[in-house]
Amino acid sequence: MIELKNIEKYYANKGVKSYILRHVTTSIKQGEFISIMGPSGAGKSTLLNILGMLEEPTYGEYHFMGEDVTAMNERKRIELYRNHIGFVFQAYHLIDEMTVAENIEAPLLYKKIPGAERKSRIADVLDRFNMVAKKDLFPNQLSGGQQQLVGIARALVAQPSIILADEPTGNLQSAQAEQIMDLFKKLNEEEGITILQVTHSEKNAQYGNRILTIEDGVIKEDVSVNN
Amino acid sequence: MFKLNLKIALRNLFKNKGYAAINIGGLAIGLTAFVLLLLFVNHEANYDKWSPELKNVYQVREYHDFFTPDNKQYWQQINESRIAGVLKEKVPQFKYVTKASRGWGDGYSIKIDRNAPVIVKDIVDADSLFFKVFPYQFINGDGSTAMNEPNTIVLKQSVAIQLFGTDKVVGKQLKLVRWRSDEGNLMTITGVVKNPSASESLAFTAVIHTGEREKDPDQISSSNYTGIYAKTEKQIDTNVLNKTLLNVYTDYKKALLKARGETFNDFYKAKSRKPGLKVLPLSEVYSNPSFSENWLDKIKPIIALSIFLLIISVINFVNLATAQSVQRAKEVGVKKVLGAYKKQLVLQFLIESAIQTLSALFITIILVELLLPSFSSHFDVQLSFWHSNHLLPIIAQLFGLFVFITLLAGFYPAIILAKYNPVKVLKGNYESSFKGMALRNGLVVLQFIIAVTFIIGIGVMYKQNSYMANKDLGFDRDKLINISTNYDTDDPFVESVKRIAGVKYVATTTQVMGNTFNTPRELTFNNQKFDINAVTVTMDALPALGVKVISGRIFAKEYAQDTINSVVINQAAANLLGKNLVGKTFTSGSNKDVFQIVGVIKNYNNESFEKAVLPTIYKVTHLGGSSNTNNLLVRFDNDHYQSAIKTIEAEWKKVYPDFPMMYTSVEDSFQKELKPSLRLMQIVVLFSVISVILSLLGLFALSTFMAKRRTKEIAIRKILGASNLELINMLNRSFLILVIIANLISWPIAFILTRKWLEGFAYRIEMPFWPFAIATLTSVIIAILTVSLQARKAAVNNPVDALKYE
Ligand SMILES: Nc1ncnc2c1ncn2[C@@H]1O[C@H](COP(=O)(O)OP(=O)(O)O)[C@@H](O)[C@H]1O
Ligand SMILES: [Mg+2]
Repeated sequence: MIELKNIEKYYANKGVKSYILRHVTTSIKQGEFISIMGPSGAGKSTLLNILGMLEEPTYGEYHFMGEDVTAMNERKRIELYRNHIGFVFQAYHLIDEMTVAENIEAPLLYKKIPGAERKSRIADVLDRFNMVAKKDLFPNQLSGGQQQLVGIARALVAQPSIILADEPTGNLQSAQAEQIMDLFKKLNEEEGITILQVTHSEKNAQYGNRILTIEDGVIKEDVSVNN
Repeated sequence: MFKLNLKIALRNLFKNKGYAAINIGGLAIGLTAFVLLLLFVNHEANYDKWSPELKNVYQVREYHDFFTPDNKQYWQQINESRIAGVLKEKVPQFKYVTKASRGWGDGYSIKIDRNAPVIVKDIVDADSLFFKVFPYQFINGDGSTAMNEPNTIVLKQSVAIQLFGTDKVVGKQLKLVRWRSDEGNLMTITGVVKNPSASESLAFTAVIHTGEREKDPDQISSSNYTGIYAKTEKQIDTNVLNKTLLNVYTDYKKALLKARGETFNDFYKAKSRKPGLKVLPLSEVYSNPSFSENWLDKIKPIIALSIFLLIISVINFVNLATAQSVQRAKEVGVKKVLGAYKKQLVLQFLIESAIQTLSALFITIILVELLLPSFSSHFDVQLSFWHSNHLLPIIAQLFGLFVFITLLAGFYPAIILAKYNPVKVLKGNYESSFKGMALRNGLVVLQFIIAVTFIIGIGVMYKQNSYMANKDLGFDRDKLINISTNYDTDDPFVESVKRIAGVKYVATTTQVMGNTFNTPRELTFNNQKFDINAVTVTMDALPALGVKVISGRIFAKEYAQDTINSVVINQAAANLLGKNLVGKTFTSGSNKDVFQIVGVIKNYNNESFEKAVLPTIYKVTHLGGSSNTNNLLVRFDNDHYQSAIKTIEAEWKKVYPDFPMMYTSVEDSFQKELKPSLRLMQIVVLFSVISVILSLLGLFALSTFMAKRRTKEIAIRKILGASNLELINMLNRSFLILVIIANLISWPIAFILTRKWLEGFAYRIEMPFWPFAIATLTSVIIAILTVSLQARKAAVNNPVDALKYE
């Protein structure tokens, strides 16, 4: 599904190149649940952003479902966001002026899904996440865990093939974190959604079936997990 | 999607109520001034557009120098009357040609039965074809025959109702008296026409058909002047037609001059005059007056002012929108990640400004409705909005304005917002994406430039106006009235007025404030030729005016010579002619009449202060010709002259029962001359106050945002030991620099603009300094106060709260 070949990312400051990512080469198959680990500042978020096409690599090849991303125009890239990629953020990043239901509805609007289907899909996820009662609340009326559930619901409602999650449980207490992880695992196993998460927690990493460890911009380890 | 965006927009507006109010309210104020102006422009541009048939109506204009202010040729609306006949005969494109002119003087007297006479202004005297050319709608009577007989009159509906209380007046008779000693004509009302829906350049209360317009003077040497209008079958190319007209006119002039014993060459070439005759579509008549500026030129300063005001409010809008954009950064970032196109985001934010603009426009419409009556009376126009007969085009213009303002105010913030890089925003990196700082600063400077320039403008205008109001005019304007009438020698009325207790002088002159008629004349003095202005006065005119003698004497009964060839000159003329002039003589006119200078008087102002007093000679004698312009000055010897005026009116009524007496006090005439510049000043004051308030509101809101944005910085500095005052100063500094830059820029701008305005006055003040100082001081102080208010709030907060919050 994803092929990375020799990805490099550096920022040039006063002629000095500071490398964030070096020689990153890997491939990700449909249906994998991968955890990215590594110390702070290692380049995990940068890698995720590159995978999510929010940032461009300075050098290297990136193929997403067989298509060359580096040669892609903006419009095409936006089409991919809409149809294949769902993002989940550490800081949730819900839109404050929208209710829960509206936040979940937003990606469907960009996908131009007709109204009736939108309604049923929203009802579905709300039901699944046990949030029906909260659908008309605004984000600041929810707890952190609830906000993150909405964040995941929003990523999920567009039926993406891959979810990119940058420290999705970083702001949460362990009980809430566990709930999110269980959800990821279920989605991965039951619906075959590819999941890529950045995490600092050894425990959370175990939910997936593969762990990539990054240090100083280089993939140090790439191990499979058997559970 | 649209619905959801609309919801977000409204929620945002509610969340930031204060800023929304400033945004919308400010824009509404700027728009109100602009829409009022728009209504005025619509009104002015709609002259003579009340019927589609008027497209085929043209006004004839002859290029000549009869009755012009400076004896030069102008394209005049009055033409030699014989031209109408020539056009009828020689120009087949004209289906009808009619002669029509408003009467001279201040109006005619109309007397109905035994009622007291009333003055009716703007009565047009026309030939029988008037209503063939002008498609007025007859409510009563028959337009095709109404003007067939002499001594007929057609009334406007409003006037009929005013005079008779009804518009069913066809067949009734009224007596028309055109000047005080006119015998009067009994006129039969043959029609009543509907008041048209738009203004008319040839506005009238009634059209009379005396029969005089039908004829040209019998003697070939005399001329009669009249307005001429023609109607064509269909619209024509005036350029082509005007070439024909010039040929027709040249042929006609050659024949006429020959009959008068002159030659075309002598008349035109020798005096470097040019023959000219053209037509103007009726719709262009009002915007092309013969002598004065047209309306568009007159209101140019006001157009500029209202555009500036609109700019200020739009700037507020842009500034606040971009400052607020920080709050929306996350939304933009998230939406982009969810798959929004940039275009969609731009559209979303444009729709948000559209909502605000629309609300502003709504408030504007209410404000306009409220202000219209006082605006109309202030500018002496009848403006209407909802009841306007061209409501549709006005609404179309408002819609255009709406789109324009939305784009102007919304486009830049929309672009800024839509450009946010989602990675940066989602990393929480708002600060670095806080865009548009330089532009916002630039806009604040621009606002203050405009506001400070306005304040300086007020100061300079105030000085000039009070200078004019208090200037020594060179004559004494109180206890002086001007009765609008001719003066005959040994006039029995004048003789009776002279005997009334309290009356000191009764006199006439062609030159008095409010009604000045200058007759240019050439004189020869010391073998040198001079162009000078000649004024005909009676013996008592100069003492009646209370002019000041510099040398020699003014006219008096004791000197028999004064009725023969004495002249008094003013200081301006003396400056032109030389020194020690009393007793000297000069010659003038084709007969080389000899005049002797008996005295020099101080210049006195008889027109507005824009015009310098002309070098003038005053003479009582009829030698060299005289003129007469309906001024009868009466000077009283005490302040309680109201009863004396009553007595004069009673005297008048005895002699002229059919013509009411009309008079103005010279003080009123003087105030009328001051009015235009006073009016401009009032508008500038109003606009300045609004623009200053708007600029400050903008600054206030902006500084709130700044303070908010820097809460964390302020908190940290405080923990590090900064005092509140130091923090306030820190926040003030950046704004203060902007305001000072704005002041530095506006000084030269204000200097140039106000100097240009002052140069329009022949009598003006030196450029004063204090308005500049005051404007700068006020702007700086108010800016500091405004910013400090916000800064203080941020500075006195407990730093721990701020840091916890972050
Ligand atoms: N715009 C930038 N300019 C320079 N350096 C950057 C920029 N963005 C991120 N970095 C650096 O890249 C490195 C990796 O960042 P990141 O991918 O966020 O690390 P993490 O593994 O903690 O998620 C960090 O050292 C950070 O300082
Ligand atoms: Mg990170």
